Amino acid sequence: MTAKARGGLALVALLAGCASDDQVRGALIDVNNEFRQQYERILAENGTRLYKVKRQEAFNATRIALTRLAMRIGGQSEELGYLNVFAPAPIPLTPAEWQQAAELDLPKLRELARKHVGLMAYFVKFEPEGLEIVINTTTIEVPAGTEVSLTMRMREVSPPPSGMPRREYPPPSAVRMGLDKIWRELEAELKASGVAVKQR
Amino acid sequence: MPQGEPAKTMSGNAFPDALAPGYRLHWYVLEQVLGQGGFGITYLARDTNLDQPVAIKEYLPVEVAGRRGDASVRARTEEHAERYRWGLDRFIREARTLARFDHPNIVRVLSVFEFNNTAYIVMRCERGETLAALLERRHALPEAELMRVLMPILDGLELVHNAGFIHRDIKPDNILIRDDGSPVLLDFGSARYALGRSRTVTILVAPGYAPFEQYYSSGENQGPWTDVYGLGATCYRAIAGRAPLDAITRSKGILGSTKEVLVPATAVGSGRYSDRLLKAIDHALAFAENERPQNIATWRQELPPITSGSATPVAPQAVPRMTSPAATVTAPAGAADASPPTPSTAERARRTWSSTRGPLLWGGVGAAAVIIVLAAAPWLTVRRDSVADKTVSAPEKPAPPPPAAPAPSRPDMDERLKKLEDQIAHGQQLLEEERTKLQAERDKLEHDLEEMKRREEAQAKPRAKPAVQTSRGTTAPSAPVARVEPPAPPVASPRAPAPAAVAPAPEVRAEPAKSPSPPPVAVVAPPPPPPAPPTTSELLARADSAVARGAYDDALAILKPLAERQNARATVKLANLHLDGKGVERNDQEALRLFSRAASRGDGEAQFKAGEMYAVGRGTVQNNFQAYVYLSAAVQSGVQAAKAPQERVAALLQPAERAQAAKLAETLMRKDR
Repeated sequence: MTAKARGGLALVALLAGCASDDQVRGALIDVNNEFRQQYERILAENGTRLYKVKRQEAFNATRIALTRLAMRIGGQSEELGYLNVFAPAPIPLTPAEWQQAAELDLPKLRELARKHVGLMAYFVKFEPEGLEIVINTTTIEVPAGTEVSLTMRMREVSPPPSGMPRREYPPPSAVRMGLDKIWRELEAELKASGVAVKQR
Repeated sequence: MPQGEPAKTMSGNAFPDALAPGYRLHWYVLEQVLGQGGFGITYLARDTNLDQPVAIKEYLPVEVAGRRGDASVRARTEEHAERYRWGLDRFIREARTLARFDHPNIVRVLSVFEFNNTAYIVMRCERGETLAALLERRHALPEAELMRVLMPILDGLELVHNAGFIHRDIKPDNILIRDDGSPVLLDFGSARYALGRSRTVTILVAPGYAPFEQYYSSGENQGPWTDVYGLGATCYRAIAGRAPLDAITRSKGILGSTKEVLVPATAVGSGRYSDRLLKAIDHALAFAENERPQNIATWRQELPPITSGSATPVAPQAVPRMTSPAATVTAPAGAADASPPTPSTAERARRTWSSTRGPLLWGGVGAAAVIIVLAAAPWLTVRRDSVADKTVSAPEKPAPPPPAAPAPSRPDMDERLKKLEDQIAHGQQLLEEERTKLQAERDKLEHDLEEMKRREEAQAKPRAKPAVQTSRGTTAPSAPVARVEPPAPPVASPRAPAPAAVAPAPEVRAEPAKSPSPPPVAVVAPPPPPPAPPTTSELLARADSAVARGAYDDALAILKPLAERQNARATVKLANLHLDGKGVERNDQEALRLFSRAASRGDGEAQFKAGEMYAVGRGTVQNNFQAYVYLSAAVQSGVQAAKAPQERVAALLQPAERAQAAKLAETLMRKDR
């Protein structure tokens, strides 16, 4: 760890010492609520797509698309049409994309946190370290084809270097970018396999 | 890595992690990306010293590392740093080892160096077509041609095995047929094992070509026999037109839980290939690793001898391409390193692999010599002598003469013969697929018919009873057929539960005919009904009774065939035996598999139990989402006990996940599976 990073952490710890547990909890709840609302809005708009393909084709294409994005299979049931994948954050985003998402979402996050923890809010940042992105996908046969649905969550696998509490929902811009990336890859895969694609 | 894919540009979104075109790595100038996998990027580059193209593989395992603005590659976190370094060291070390091999049928490593905090392997630029692409065009290969691909690869691979390495990813995509027709084995994927210490290997193996031990072992069970499986699977693909079933599906078939079993090569290729070749392929594809040939030399002895003509390369190129030193195909007998070891040597080799070679996993060259399929396409139109090329179309040439043309020449006849062979192979594959489908339909029809018979019989019973009573009056023997239930005999064999159970029935039915009183039979049922088999519910009751008295073998003998016929209740009861270790070894995984299967057929108890197992991670990785799916279905099926655990699990899911899972549970309920 560099001296600069150590200094940063010391400052965060100092500032954290200035905020009570209740204040930190309050900030976390506000941020979580805001992120959750945005997350659900994004999912409502772009979390499900309909393709005019067979369920098996959609399932296979989803699996290929996600593994191609370096996600790893955590569990799957072809019969059920369920696939669970995970990867260390920020995958499926690249570090640059993650940074872009952070730039878009951090101001809002800090504004929400500032009401509770004051200056400490300016030291909050998105840390992909110690987090995994977990995606659940379902492929369900419907009369018009197959509906593919995605949800995304963060799973903490080790405590953050900063010691700051984590929020539960991924940053909204990261969700948006991640979904776009997955749909793009999935549709490219479906097209490559020569099936007619119709999307909603 | 998508080796056969046309190259894309490095800039833009296609390969965001790739170095830009024109980037210099010492005296190599990158030209374009050939492909990117989870473990690295392969570039086409130019060696400016020698002014020739090379392929360069960059170590960049995206799971643990990423590109910085200064082009360097860094571990994503401190936690990943160790894994990254471990993989990098292995990448370099094994590339150095592989560089020692200079075999015409193994991709040549020219150099390896560290730069940008990562490493680069420089490989000879190979041009040609992958065996996968060739098979895609031609569906199957005749025996002589297949042997011309296989034998040189065996030679090269044996050399590598003797040095203590295994390839672990042998498949048609990784065999390149050069323009001169010689094969070369690509993608010695050490980079793949940069992640080898992590939790899952499912994305590290090629389904159909990877043996079972590659799915579930971290290396200690792997050895030359692992590559022998890949070779056998590649041959299977070349004769059957499709890859063998993947090892996971095969494992289910072997356990008897699915009808999907591997159709042996001896069946698929019968009549088209020599028995010796087909048997050797089946041996290589043996499911258990210790039942396969343990090394290349042993397997080679099982293969048919290569004929002198077979040594001709598959698709000789009239104009030799740039770098193909010694690109000739060596016959196995002539290969210096190919002498088969004595049995004791083989046994020693096996012991050595088992004990020490496991961690020394393949490495080295990482994907991909440069395969420029598109670039190779025009070359395919060049006239070649081999049979293989005779099916290649030549668009520049004029259309073939009309039928009234003079008698066909020898090459034309050869070509037609080849096409016919290909058509036959294709037809046989279609037939095989059709046969499988028809078999499934037949099974279903038989099952339905049986059910129908039972229903008819059940309906006939209430009608028969009053008829007997009327004809016999109160003095008639109390033997209305429908009510007579012989005591359940113990079932001795799992294969014959039904006949054993129904055996006494004819005697009982015959009883009225023996009666001296006026025969009522004609009144009751003029044609004597055939002996009725016990109904499913009767069989299930007998199974319950057998379990209650501890006669698990009897219960299993009844339940297994019923479960195979997709009877949900029998499947659940069988699953319970696996779960409790009664009559079988306790096996949570198998129990969960059976519960899941019955759950998808709408069985509430199965849904409940599968849900509970997912909730606690019994027999599987803990998964709240799947737990919620099954528990919700169980609640909908009326299992009240499922409600509390469903609520517990629900609290751990996002609302969006709950909605998503609930939708899946609904399909589980409404589906007629």
